[in-house]
Amino acid sequence: MSELTRATLDALAQIQSLGRRDFLRFGAVAASLAAVSATGVLAPATARAALPPGIKVMTEGELAVFQRLLAVMLPTEGSALVPPAQVPVMQTLDAALLATMPPHILQGLKGGIAYFNDGPMARYGKRFAELSDADASRFCDEWSNAPEAPRRALAMGLKKLVGLAYWANPPTWAPLGYDGPVSRKWGLQSLGNAPMPQ
Amino acid sequence: MTQKAITKVAPHGLKVTQAADIKQQTIHLEADAVIVGSGAGGAIAAYELAAKGKKVVVLEAGPYVPSEKFSEMMAIAMGTLYQDHGGQANSEGDISILQGACVGGSTVVNAALCFRTPDYYLNLWAKEFGLTNLAPAAMAPYFDKVEANLKIRQNARHETSHGAELINAGLEKLGIPPGIAKRNIKNCGLTGFCFAGCVTDRKQSMLVTYLPWAVAKGATIYADTRVTKVLATDGRARGVEAEVIDPASGRRKATLHVDAPIVVLAAGPVQTPLLLQKSDLANSSGQVGKNFACHPTMSLSAEFDKDVDDFHGATHSLYVDKHTLPEEGGYLLLNAVQDPVEASFQVEPGTGKPYVSYMSRYRNTIRLITLIHDKNVGEVSWKDGAKHIRYAVDDADFEAMKAGLKTNARVLFAAGAKRVHVPTSQRLVIESAGEIDRVIDGLRNEPSRYRYTSFHPQGTCRMGADPARSVVNPKGETHDVRSLYIIDASLLPTSIGYNPSETVYALASYISDQINAAHA
Repeated sequence: MSELTRATLDALAQIQSLGRRDFLRFGAVAASLAAVSATGVLAPATARAALPPGIKVMTEGELAVFQRLLAVMLPTEGSALVPPAQVPVMQTLDAALLATMPPHILQGLKGGIAYFNDGPMARYGKRFAELSDADASRFCDEWSNAPEAPRRALAMGLKKLVGLAYWANPPTWAPLGYDGPVSRKWGLQSLGNAPMPQ
Repeated sequence: MTQKAITKVAPHGLKVTQAADIKQQTIHLEADAVIVGSGAGGAIAAYELAAKGKKVVVLEAGPYVPSEKFSEMMAIAMGTLYQDHGGQANSEGDISILQGACVGGSTVVNAALCFRTPDYYLNLWAKEFGLTNLAPAAMAPYFDKVEANLKIRQNARHETSHGAELINAGLEKLGIPPGIAKRNIKNCGLTGFCFAGCVTDRKQSMLVTYLPWAVAKGATIYADTRVTKVLATDGRARGVEAEVIDPASGRRKATLHVDAPIVVLAAGPVQTPLLLQKSDLANSSGQVGKNFACHPTMSLSAEFDKDVDDFHGATHSLYVDKHTLPEEGGYLLLNAVQDPVEASFQVEPGTGKPYVSYMSRYRNTIRLITLIHDKNVGEVSWKDGAKHIRYAVDDADFEAMKAGLKTNARVLFAAGAKRVHVPTSQRLVIESAGEIDRVIDGLRNEPSRYRYTSFHPQGTCRMGADPARSVVNPKGETHDVRSLYIIDASLLPTSIGYNPSETVYALASYISDQINAAHA
C-alpha cells in the first residue's frame, strides 16, 4: 500500500486521534516550560548543542521539518494572531507530545517525518525543509488531497501536531476573543456530592 | 459477609485508596463482589450491591482526580482523565475513540446528554436477541429511577449557547422540529467545559453520585489498579488478580488479589473484552470483542458574518432525531460548543494564509455534529501484545453519514451561515445551499480522508438469549461463567444511534437487581 512502515502508520493513528483534551496537556507543559526557562533551570540540550533549549526528542532534521511546517502553516503577518516566534511551539511539541509517546510510536513517527521530508524530491527536487514558502505550502495541500491514504494521513497528522502545539498555549487565544477558563472568574461554587436517594 | 455500618454521604470528595496510599507489595482482599471499573456501570452496581449489604470492592485502572483539580486550563488533569491520554483510535487511525479513564469513568468527561433507549431497539433486541426481559414496559421503572437519581431533565430555556440559538432558528425556518437536550446536570454553570470534568460538581457524574453513595454504604474503591486476570474455577467466577501502578513512574507498586464470589466487569467496551480474552474466559461463542460499533461523528463547521462566540453555554442544547432510526436515515444531528484548539483541526481551509484567515474568524464559527447509527462491523483484540481496534466505516453507513451531512448543511445555511466547511483532509467548502448535494454526493468512503470522532464505543460482549451468538445472558451474567457479570456498553446487541449513557445507567440498575436476586 505504501512505503511507510507499520510503526509509522501506528504513529499516524495516534496523532489523528489527539483531540481537544490533549491541547490542554500541551498547554500545561508549555506553561511549565516557560516557567522553567525563565528561571534557567531547564537543562540545555548540551548533547546536541545546535538544538534550542527544551528540545530533547527531536533531531535537528526533524526540528527543521516542523519549523518549516510551522512557518508555512501560520504566516501571521498582517493578522492579529500571535506570531509563532513568540510561542514555545517546538518546545511544547517536543516535551508534551513526543516525549510522552511510547517508543514504538515515536519511532514510527520519526519514520513518517523522514518520509514527508523526502516527499517533494521527485517533483520539486528538494526536501520539504528546503522548500520555499510557496512550494512548501503547495506540497502540503497536494498531500492533503493525495490518492494515497498514508500521504493524506501524514499531511493531516503533522499539521495537526504543529497546530496543537501552537494553540495549546493560552496566549494564542486572546486574538480569537476566547477567554478560556471561567468557573472561578464567574464565582461558581461547588455543589459537592449529591445526597443519597431515599 | 457483612457490610460495614451505613454512614452519611461525604459532602465533597470521595474516599479512594490510591497507589500513593499503598505500603505493602501484596494485598489480599475478600469481598462479596469485586467490580472492575468505576464508570456508569461499575458505580451503579457498587451502590446497588452495597445497599443490599454486600461487601463491595471497586477496582479502577485510572487515577482519582477530585473535581477541585479540574482547572479548566485543564492541562494537568487532561493527561490523566482519558484513555491513552486521548490517543485511543481505530487501527487505521482515522477515528478517534474517546473514553474516560479515571475514577468515575466516561461520566466524568461526557457532556451529560441523556436519551432513553428507544422502544424501537428494545423491541428489536427482544425479537432478534431474545431479550424479552428488556421490553419497554419492563425497563421504564429503571429509566425513571436513574433519571431521578441523576437529576436527568430537559434543559431549561436559558441552558443554551449562542450557536444553538442560531441552529434553532435554522431548524425553525426549515420546519424541522428540534429536540431539547436532557442532561444529568444540576444548576448548570454554562461554562461549556463538560468534556474536561465539571469543576463545580454540577454534572451529576458518578464522581458525585453513585460512587460516594456506594462508599457511604461501605464499598471500598481502589484507583490506579489495573485488573490483569479474572479468576474462575469449574465454570464459576471466584475473584480477580490486579496490579497497583504508580502513575508517576508507571511501575508496579503492588499486586492485589481479590477473592469474591461475584465478579462484575464494567471496564468499558474496549477493556472488558480485552480482559476476558486475556483471561481466556466466557468466549465459547467466539463473540468476545466482536460486533464493535462506535457511532462515528463528523462535524460541519459554519462561518457567519458576525461574531457568534459559541464557546461557553450548555455544551449540548439541542438535537435533531427526525432521521435517527435506521429506516428514517440513521443519523442524529447535535450541536456542541467548541474551543479554539478543537476548531483548529476540525477543517482544512488550505495551508497558510487561508488557515490564518479561518482561525482569525474563529468567533464567527459554529459546528453541528452528525452522528450515525453504525453496523457492528468492528472487533477489539490483542495484537502483538497491544490492543487493536479494527473498525472501518461501512459503505452503507457512509451513505447515512452523507445524508446526515446534507441535512446538517441545510440547517446551517438556513441559520445564516455564509459558508460551510466539510471535515475532509483537503479543503472542501460549500459556498451556498445550492451546492450541498453536489459537494456531499462527491464524497467517497476512503480511509484517512475524514476527521471522525467517536464518543460511544459499544457492542463487544453482546447480550442475548442464544449462547452461540452472544456473550452475556439476558440477566447480565456470562453464558459460560456463573457469577461473572458484565455491566457496560459492551452489552448492547446493536448500536442505538443515540448517546448510550442512559441506556447503560438503566441496564446497570436492572442487572444489579438480577445480581442481588441471585445472591440474596
